[in-house]
Amino acid sequence: MNLLAEAAGVTVGMRRRQAEAVCPVVVTLVADPGADAARFEPVAVAVEELIPRIEVVAPGLVYAPLTGAVRYYGGEEPLVERVVKELAALTGDGYRLGIAAGPFAARQAADHAGADHPVHLVVDDAAFLAGLDVARLGREELAATFRWLGIMTLGELSQLPRQAIVSRFGADGLAAHRLAAGEDRNPQPRPLPPDLAVEERFEPPLGDLDRAGFAARAMAHRLMAEIARHGAAPHRVEVEAEAADGAVRARTWRSLDPFDEASLAERVRWQLRAWLDHARMRSGPGIRGGLVRLRLAPADVSDEGRQLALHEDAHVAAEARRAIAQAQAILGPDRVLQAKPQGGRHPGERVAWYRWGEDPGAPVRDPSAPWPGGLPAPSPALVPPEPLVLEVEWDEGIPTRIRLGARWVPITTWAGPWRNLGRWWEGAAPADCYQLVTSAGAFLCEIRQGRAYLTGVYD
Amino acid sequence: MVLSSAARGFRGSTIPLEELPAPDEVGLDLPGAHRVHLVEPAVGDLPAPLQLTPGRVVGLVGSAGSGMTRLGLAMLAAHPATGPAVYLDARGWLCPAAAWEAGMDPDSLVIVRCDDPVAWGRVAATLVEGVGAICAEVPAGVKDPQLRALAALVRRRAIPMVLRPLRGDLPPGLAHLRLMARSVEWDGADAGHGRLGRRRLVVEASGKAVQGRTLLVELEDHGTDAVHLVPRLAAAPAGRAAG
Repeated sequence: MNLLAEAAGVTVGMRRRQAEAVCPVVVTLVADPGADAARFEPVAVAVEELIPRIEVVAPGLVYAPLTGAVRYYGGEEPLVERVVKELAALTGDGYRLGIAAGPFAARQAADHAGADHPVHLVVDDAAFLAGLDVARLGREELAATFRWLGIMTLGELSQLPRQAIVSRFGADGLAAHRLAAGEDRNPQPRPLPPDLAVEERFEPPLGDLDRAGFAARAMAHRLMAEIARHGAAPHRVEVEAEAADGAVRARTWRSLDPFDEASLAERVRWQLRAWLDHARMRSGPGIRGGLVRLRLAPADVSDEGRQLALHEDAHVAAEARRAIAQAQAILGPDRVLQAKPQGGRHPGERVAWYRWGEDPGAPVRDPSAPWPGGLPAPSPALVPPEPLVLEVEWDEGIPTRIRLGARWVPITTWAGPWRNLGRWWEGAAPADCYQLVTSAGAFLCEIRQGRAYLTGVYD
Repeated sequence: MVLSSAARGFRGSTIPLEELPAPDEVGLDLPGAHRVHLVEPAVGDLPAPLQLTPGRVVGLVGSAGSGMTRLGLAMLAAHPATGPAVYLDARGWLCPAAAWEAGMDPDSLVIVRCDDPVAWGRVAATLVEGVGAICAEVPAGVKDPQLRALAALVRRRAIPMVLRPLRGDLPPGLAHLRLMARSVEWDGADAGHGRLGRRRLVVEASGKAVQGRTLLVELEDHGTDAVHLVPRLAAAPAGRAAG
């Protein structure tokens, strides 16, 4: 969301229709976190040059520990001035800066900042948080329950006995109470082997984001499997990449909830994309000449490992993922797929394909919407990627036989036609669908501009 | 084995094979040396012989259009595997919508496309080493020894596998249960006044699963839940309701 939309009253989390009602000229874009991470990279680099060991939570949100940098710059004010100057140079007035004792309060302070006061300094975290709504915890269901119990603000929550909250709400309640009290998440450090990092070298260097993404996914799997064996889970992971020119880039990613394999692989991919884009398009620091080494190192682990549902078997699930990932490595990413239903009139249109391991995204066409004129079930089990020319003989508009391979096969009965007008406003020709039944089976046929095409086999 | 209630479409008899009547008891006499048992369709799940068994290979033989893909998907959907099931698609034509109609959860199905007979063996073995159930089209050019090695791996890993050769047949004795399409009929189309409704598929079952006999099994595929199966002897003509 940009400043113009914000000024018009659009807020984060608003539904599209609401946003359009508030601001009729608003343009909605499809979310692309990877692209956002790439666009955010210069900001992260600028902050990192002033304050080392930053942690990225999501594209657009970065935490920076001030303690060491404050000493270096001779005070908080000179440091903040430098940061503001860099951010303003990069983003104009599109930045917000929150300063507090802990990350949660700092985040809330940044949200509190506005266009006319982009920096918000919190002196007392607990006092600042006390007046905030429980929705700020970022857990909708929990907040709804709190409200139902009459707990409206973080201050009211923090005043309740912690033990009572824990016994009623468990670990989620404990985390919420800590945040409300201005105590950020306190990990339970586990005694782990000194080096749980996973590292891989690539020869030749990987310059392609897809291949780097696969490598990242496989490494995320190894890392999480190893950490899970110790019953722990990482809240921060450092991603370190070495380029062919010898430059080493590192970035720490942070998560309030423990990382799982998918979310970790996703962040590594975003970061690699940001570095690759940064080097290629902005001539800035990034990965030049390709990736020769990648290292993932966990930090800040806790014992809040993911709780498996009763029917899940972690070992079986991990084995299946490993096998499918290996098949993907053999065949390539475009040959290992899953599919989701989406709207459409033809069976082929009703399938939204996506690569295994990637986010399918929202369907392009709403599957629950009515699609008048669509082909009824059952769907053909086989649909050729492109319609194939089919020879059909007709007798006064009635199909009589079709050629299958080298032989003509009589049509015993048929169904249709279902007329599909298509995108007629773009000049597309209409098509008539028929279900042709023979002794060899049933076939879905489309007649377009006088020619017959095979578009499905009811196998 | 407890069947998943998600399997829809195919209906067969719940009568155990050993209790099937002899051909003369059903009054049917077909030419050829096959013994024929007509399996009375009834409301229920896949009959026991058509359920996937861990460590066993089911072979599906038939040309495109014979109904074997949907039968394989129904078997996969009915199997209570932990973790995703894989369809190894050698043709590249599989339409997942048919799998969903057969009861497969979209999140539980992974489609792997491989038409190269050389890579196919390696990919199939890799998948067998990890997934819970697999239905694989076998492209032309895959050698018999490869298939036998794969069957041995399936036995060791104790997962069920369905193999469908795209050309020809499977090596003798490879499949614990071999189903070959004999005939397929559709009703409901009604010469342009209806739509495809019920498919009646006759398959020849052979292999150790049927104690070395050769049986003809008749299956009905509805495709949707809208049509209720009625017992065969009371079947109504197409276009009329029966209950």
